[in-house]
Amino acid sequence: MQVGLIAEDEYDACNNFHNLLYGKRRTIEQWRWEFVSPLFGNPQLPFAVVRDNDRIVGTQALIPIRMIDKNGIYWTGKSEETLLDPTYRGKGFSEKMYQLVFDYALQNGLVCIWGFTRATKALNKSGFDVPTVTSQILFPFSSRAVSVLLRSHAAAHERDSTGSFKSACYRSACSLAQVLSAITFSYTGRRLPATGNLQVRTLDEPPEDAGRLCETFVRQWGGTTIYRDAAYLRWRVFDNPFVKAVIRAVYDREQLLGWVAYSLGDDRMGQLVDLILAIDRTKPYSSEDVTRLLLREAVIGTRNMGAVALRGWHVNDHPFDKMLTRVAGNSGFYLVKKGLAAVLHPIIKGSDPRPYGSFRNWYVTRIYTEGVFG
Amino acid sequence: MSPEASYLWRQILNHANLFFSRKALELLKAGQVRFVSFDQAIRGGDQAVMIPIDLPVPSRPEKTWQVAFNGARLTLWNRIDRPVVGDWRAVPDETAPLWYVHRTGTVLPAWNLFGNLFKLLTFGEELMTNERDKHGRFDALYSPRFKAGLLETPAFNEAVAALVATCAGLHRNGVPDLYLDKLLKPPVIVLSHDCDILLGNDHWTQLVRAVRVLAPVARAKFPRVANLWWIARNAVYPRRFYFDNVPGMIDLERGFAFTSTFYLLNGSGGRYGARSGSGILRQLLPLIPSGWDVGIHYNYDTFLDHDRFRTQFNELGEIVHKPINSGRAHYLRFDSKQSLPFLESFGIRCDESAGYAARIGYRCGIGGCFQPYDASSTGPLDIWEVPLVVMDGTLVSQYGEESVVAFRRLLLHLSRVGGAMSLVYHPGQFHNPEHPKMLGLYHRLLIECRQLGAKSETALSLVNNVSS
Repeated sequence: MQVGLIAEDEYDACNNFHNLLYGKRRTIEQWRWEFVSPLFGNPQLPFAVVRDNDRIVGTQALIPIRMIDKNGIYWTGKSEETLLDPTYRGKGFSEKMYQLVFDYALQNGLVCIWGFTRATKALNKSGFDVPTVTSQILFPFSSRAVSVLLRSHAAAHERDSTGSFKSACYRSACSLAQVLSAITFSYTGRRLPATGNLQVRTLDEPPEDAGRLCETFVRQWGGTTIYRDAAYLRWRVFDNPFVKAVIRAVYDREQLLGWVAYSLGDDRMGQLVDLILAIDRTKPYSSEDVTRLLLREAVIGTRNMGAVALRGWHVNDHPFDKMLTRVAGNSGFYLVKKGLAAVLHPIIKGSDPRPYGSFRNWYVTRIYTEGVFG
Repeated sequence: MSPEASYLWRQILNHANLFFSRKALELLKAGQVRFVSFDQAIRGGDQAVMIPIDLPVPSRPEKTWQVAFNGARLTLWNRIDRPVVGDWRAVPDETAPLWYVHRTGTVLPAWNLFGNLFKLLTFGEELMTNERDKHGRFDALYSPRFKAGLLETPAFNEAVAALVATCAGLHRNGVPDLYLDKLLKPPVIVLSHDCDILLGNDHWTQLVRAVRVLAPVARAKFPRVANLWWIARNAVYPRRFYFDNVPGMIDLERGFAFTSTFYLLNGSGGRYGARSGSGILRQLLPLIPSGWDVGIHYNYDTFLDHDRFRTQFNELGEIVHKPINSGRAHYLRFDSKQSLPFLESFGIRCDESAGYAARIGYRCGIGGCFQPYDASSTGPLDIWEVPLVVMDGTLVSQYGEESVVAFRRLLLHLSRVGGAMSLVYHPGQFHNPEHPKMLGLYHRLLIECRQLGAKSETALSLVNNVSS
């Protein structure tokens, strides 16, 4: 038994291990896209494995992600691919793998490791904090959304939680919620800003000024967010071999104001992958107005794609996240207080005054996520 | 080489150029494939593939059998018996042979390769009968291959794959290979959408719904009142689930890095005509981004009618403001002898009409594209056919719950032998609660394409690739 960092000739084995454990059909190209970052220079991946002779029986990866706050850009690691063969559990391999990626992070300038999980107990043991539990905003299009949500919930808990009576009740409630959402949405459509110079465009290429928009965003809204410059968007969205999110950007003449990214998951659940904007206060429209406009694009876009519902994340009380959730609520979305727990492990402590370890001021969306949606 | 053999060889090379590696094409071109008489073929002597061109082709497929090849099974028919003169052995075996190999290295196909393929590409089985349905179409049921269960066999693709592997084997060690190691490109999916109904409130569509309400009563069953809801809904929101589905389909395809062709129906209205009229097309066009193609959906009444076709063609040209190079016939009205020269005379470069309305399958035995044969000039016409393989409603009516499995099976097979699959999906079928069996189906088909590593081409881009 040996715990170590992945070698290049083990990529296939790691992907096969994942597919075997989850019953998935992820291809090796998709695996490479997920874990071999074109932006992070080190050819040695932050990917720990447990080997039993030549067999991979455990994995723990980090996806290097750049964040930006008012002081600049820095690297973090998004925890991913936490897998251990059930027969090897309880033997301390998870902690050993985490220790390995913590060491890697320290040596390679990743200032913290973060992620989202249901398994908070195990991660607590590995030194993670649990700063918050996420909620979701949900816009139902069809009562079939209930089946999708229950299926994903049951899969996450490895048991069938869908009693037929219970799910019938959920479906009825969803049908009612769907009608109410449609009415609210139709009403808010009349309150859109005067869109004289505003133009919404579907992007075929990442915008060159995407990074600048993120800089303006953290200046206006404070806190920390993912640094989605053109290279990041190309990697995570336009070159995504699972599903490329549709990015609808709003421009005032030729000035990029923000964008919304949405996609359709393989289960037909629409995903609000990202929404970010930075509006100059001198403009005749507010951030709320443009947020409403972009949410509308996502709702109509995913509905026309055949989605059963559209959902996004509400992570914390970052001012933009709060505003987005409020506008979504006024546009027919529901806030569902059920979601994954956020976990965070600061790597660099003490001398650096920046609040890397404070999750409360982060604005994160599904744009970070591990594969399928962004 | 005879004109017929020359024509077929050119189609084989075009096909190999599209779906096989450069090395595979070079191997084919290296002169190891010859089209000769049967007597010459069985003489042996040269290390080459000798394809007999003078064997008769039975009107119905005879003696079908399968051969394991590159992780798939090739289906062959019209067997050639192993030559009794000389030292020939069957490859891979005597009971299910693909080739006969002479001790000198000469390779002879174990089936009537030339006859079968030439007959398929020239619509031979359709020219043997006058049977047509009420729309004047050659129905799948009339095909001798239907009764033999061969409609879903891409015979041309399989033959080219076998030829490539054999040439590679001969080049390497003088023995035919039965696999295509690194010689094959990923399968291609050719997506298209016939925009025949873009508004759900036209008189004919509403009338059909009204009839559906009452039709069960005549059979002493409850009326299907749900149709009243569809009538009311599309009366208020005519674009819902039709026109509005177009941007949804585009977004969905964009998510998979796929593109498609929209075939626009304009011209006269009526039950079989352009029910939504031509005006709506002007509003549709701005929704279709660059990279997606626009073609003409030949109206029902333009079938082999020069004046009517010209009127529709010119009107669409004025709407689109771009040259119209590709098209597909509404109701798949297609005459195997006259349609392609007819379309060629209007400058159509690429047609996707040669499919079956009531079955999925390879009408010409090919998943890909080819130039039709012109018997008068004994050469190819200046137009390309990309035969339709799968139609949305047909797939579901034929396979029901197993539709995705059937689709995957077809595409998986193409991923092993090379080729392209043309799939049509109507906007009104894409996401429309009126057709519950179709909900989410297009999405699931695209997921299968992604899982099998399929690349997307429009019919026109496929043709441009081969002719460039």
